[in-house]
Amino acid sequence: MKRILSTVVSLSVSAVLFVVSPLFAEKNQPAKIKAAAIQVRMIQSDEIKLPAEFQISLYENLIRQLEKQDGFEHVYRDGDRNAANVADLVVLHSSVRGFKAGSERARQVTTVAGTTSVAIHCQFTTVDGKSLLEQDVKGKVRFFGGNLRATYDFAKKTARIAQENFSSTGR
Amino acid sequence: MIHRSTTFPIGVALLAAGLMVPVGNPQQIAKPVKAIQLTGLVGVKNDAKGTLSVDNGNLHFMHGKETSDLSVTSIEDVVTGADSRKSVGNTVGLISMAAPYGGGRFLSLFRTKIDTLTVQYRDPDGGLHGAIFTMPVGTADVIKKDLVAQGAHTSAIEEQDVLSTSPNNSSTKEQKQ
Repeated sequence: MKRILSTVVSLSVSAVLFVVSPLFAEKNQPAKIKAAAIQVRMIQSDEIKLPAEFQISLYENLIRQLEKQDGFEHVYRDGDRNAANVADLVVLHSSVRGFKAGSERARQVTTVAGTTSVAIHCQFTTVDGKSLLEQDVKGKVRFFGGNLRATYDFAKKTARIAQENFSSTGR
Repeated sequence: MIHRSTTFPIGVALLAAGLMVPVGNPQQIAKPVKAIQLTGLVGVKNDAKGTLSVDNGNLHFMHGKETSDLSVTSIEDVVTGADSRKSVGNTVGLISMAAPYGGGRFLSLFRTKIDTLTVQYRDPDGGLHGAIFTMPVGTADVIKKDLVAQGAHTSAIEEQDVLSTSPNNSSTKEQKQ
């Protein structure tokens, strides 16, 4: 009887710990960088020639995904004069480091070949140019969708990085 | 007397030559072309189908009963490109993937060539936007020429001039890849 009781107690304690541990982990996470707004600069592709539609699609998708996130109060476009007087503004610079055009036809016919991928170096800086965070992000389309879907994948990943590291409250 | 007799035929010849030269219309307005707006136009949903035309210094995109206008003066860059899309539509194409003996994959082999038109423009606040359109082959260059003729800027115009003057290059489409 004692043995059963001790087993039940130990099981319930471990169950409680299992549920509570993520809450403690969240508290131990490093504080987010305070940023009220973000300005997205046009994607730079000096080293690698990127088709114009890819460049624009990366930029537009990035802005759309950042707007969907709750992290920033406002998302400004490249050259927007309203961003000039915003406090706690973060500027996102993106430069293309790799691009593989792939083929939608090859993807659909073979399902293993024809992957489209784009590798981009993202740098979050202050207005003065001081680097806050740098990361390489890859956008891919492996199975379904046109080649431009790789830009959507990149935008979603980058917006997630921004949400994980920046907040308008700094928490 | 001899002098007068020679000037008269020369004058007549010059007048006839002048009449024979075709009168060019520098602001030829192209017919509206069917286009799909993939992304970028403010207030227009992605993948919206409509017609694209250039008129009175504006790029018009008519979709449904609505029209989105883009002033040519706000356009910073126009680039054309080539791509292809599935000949069999999205829903049918997706359902066909379940067809036996790889029938769906066989359908994927059939693709239609299309043109892409990428336009970079600024809003009144100076914010940079980009819009991407797809349209039937051969129509993107017409729209681009109209836009440039009416004052739009393009970064690829010099490259295009070089390509068109070169005897080895028959295609004038920019290949930025």
